[in-house]
Amino acid sequence: MKKTKKIAALGLAVLMGAMTVLTGCSGNESEKDGTLHLTFYYPVNVGGDAAKLIESACEEFNAENPDIVVEPVYTGNYDDTVTKIQTAIQGGTPPDVFVSLATQRFTMASTGMAMPLDDLIAADEEGEEYIADFLPGFMEDSYVDGKIYSIPFQRSTEIMYYNKDKFVEAGLDPEDPPETWDELVEYAKKLTTDDCYGVGIALNSGSAQWTFTAYSLQNSTDGKMLMSEDGKEVFFDTPENVEALQFWLDLQNKHKVMAEGIVQWTDLPTQFLAGEVAMIYHTTGNMANINSNATFEYGTCFLPGNKQMAAPTGGGNFYISSGISEERVQAAWKFIKFMTETERAAQWSLDTGYVATRQSCFETDLIKNYYEEVPQAKVAYEQISVAKPELTTYNAAEIWRVLNDNIQSAVVGDATAKEALKNAQKEAEEILADYQ
Amino acid sequence: MHAKKTKSILITLMSIVIALVMLAPLVWLVGTAFTEPSFNMSFIPKTKFTLENIKYVWNAIPFGQYYINTLILVIVTFSVQFITSTMAAYALAILDFKGKTVIFAIIFMQIIIPNDVLITPNFMTLSELGLTNTKIGIMLPFYGSALAIFLLRQHFKSVPKALAEAAKLDGATTWQTIWRVYMPTAKPAYLSFAVISVSYHWNNYLWPLIVTNSPANRTLTVGLAIFAKSKEANMQWANVCAATFIIILPLLIAFFILQRQFMESFVGAGIKE
Repeated sequence: MKKTKKIAALGLAVLMGAMTVLTGCSGNESEKDGTLHLTFYYPVNVGGDAAKLIESACEEFNAENPDIVVEPVYTGNYDDTVTKIQTAIQGGTPPDVFVSLATQRFTMASTGMAMPLDDLIAADEEGEEYIADFLPGFMEDSYVDGKIYSIPFQRSTEIMYYNKDKFVEAGLDPEDPPETWDELVEYAKKLTTDDCYGVGIALNSGSAQWTFTAYSLQNSTDGKMLMSEDGKEVFFDTPENVEALQFWLDLQNKHKVMAEGIVQWTDLPTQFLAGEVAMIYHTTGNMANINSNATFEYGTCFLPGNKQMAAPTGGGNFYISSGISEERVQAAWKFIKFMTETERAAQWSLDTGYVATRQSCFETDLIKNYYEEVPQAKVAYEQISVAKPELTTYNAAEIWRVLNDNIQSAVVGDATAKEALKNAQKEAEEILADYQ
Repeated sequence: MHAKKTKSILITLMSIVIALVMLAPLVWLVGTAFTEPSFNMSFIPKTKFTLENIKYVWNAIPFGQYYINTLILVIVTFSVQFITSTMAAYALAILDFKGKTVIFAIIFMQIIIPNDVLITPNFMTLSELGLTNTKIGIMLPFYGSALAIFLLRQHFKSVPKALAEAAKLDGATTWQTIWRVYMPTAKPAYLSFAVISVSYHWNNYLWPLIVTNSPANRTLTVGLAIFAKSKEANMQWANVCAATFIIILPLLIAFFILQRQFMESFVGAGIKE
């Protein structure tokens, strides 16, 4: 009896040991050769090619800097990336540098996950010039309490795509897209037929708040939009915002120029390409898809304004982890600057569909030639001058959920625009109470 | 008699409908994976047959490596679970020792806690052991399985004591008794747990993503995510389907081969108390 136990225990130990050896224990590669190993976490949201591009850019950096080895680690989508960073920090192995949503900046700063970059910029000879070269519309959402926490990298904005053929059929001038909300309704009415809606906006969670940022800005004259600049307050239930949401509901219910209910973000471009909707609000990231698949003449234009022209920006920025050694911080800074070099940022924009982040990018032949080939793409760049950061606050994920849920309750008819936004305001204030 | 016949026809019809509903996504998936991508999707694709999608995703991601990793993961995890759970279940079902009920309660509680909640504490433990970014790190938290212990314990308990005693009289050791008497009777439980364990670890995404950094240790699901999560541009369904096809193929084949055993094991595991 005893003997059997011993044998069994021994057998088990041997087996487990063998498994461990078999499967290899290759973690924690030490830095024996004197090089500095940096871990770089990056999410991918535009398909398999982006991962390859990032990996090859890292290889280039490593070749240019023999004393530094950047190890790129794919970390899923933006949400997965934040989970992985948080877990890694708690386990005592934070990444050195990472890409995360620009809207994560308040969370990054308040939880101490990322460090402010001002000292690095000040110490860098060309630091000031470097920062000034980024498009202000993108740079704006790098600040927390006046300090710079991130550097723009994979950034997008929302534009309007419209079907020129449908414009002609409806007797509209295809070179004169709508510029105001009133014109939008007027055009959409003319464009709506039995099998085609005039306008399409994706109202699913994760998309509605982006377009709503635009509508809130467009309907604001005093600059007050969905949130305060310090990220501690939201202004969801202002009369202007209620008016903006009511406008959406009217497009569906009163004018009947937009599909009822909630259209998914990923379905909208397909509907546009299939000719089921004549004008859509979508990201610049979809330019390549629409450009290669449209069987009709298509145009792009600024989002129609109301009291002013406005559009939201979105996408991910570079952050440096706080609490890593000075040597690592310097190497990470060098890496970020390398990844955002003018030529590289321009090429990245062409390869992925993101908007190039720096003024100087638009003077490169790469971008100039591209705009000649696809003039529709230029709208994205021009619109950045009126673009503002999308909704973000402390605990941004929760606030997004609150706004999206309530917008949807208005869209499906469970609440009026005013009730929905009042409710959103109340819920958001409860969440933000912790940060006052 | 007549009513009975109508009833059986109805049940057959219902089964056919349900089967078709379950089959539909698979048909669409295979169709989309093997035809030229088109923005205008339909259930039965209208575009031409092509292997380009499969070729593209296979080359975009080190799927070969990911296959090997996933296979090692699934096989090793199940093998260890097989041994640890058998021994624990035997102890809890047959042996008498102090605190038996308490231990069983503690193990049983583990079934209730969802694995995602344990990600951070597990990661911290692995980090202290220096096992992050290793295959063993992915597997270690799963070497014991509360579900398997529970399933097997129930089966072992239903074996008549007389049978074990008879074996002992014939001179069988404890190990031989487990091997010859208890394990064969619990075959349905082993099989149904194998299905659960293999499909869970084959499909697990978040945990392997968080524990590992290098492609040398990553799994198939991480490879799929790179295509399936590209919503910032547009969904490239052809690529998503091609990648999904690559990933589910082995499980599909295994299912078709072992279909009968699976069915029997589930029925068998279900009717025992």
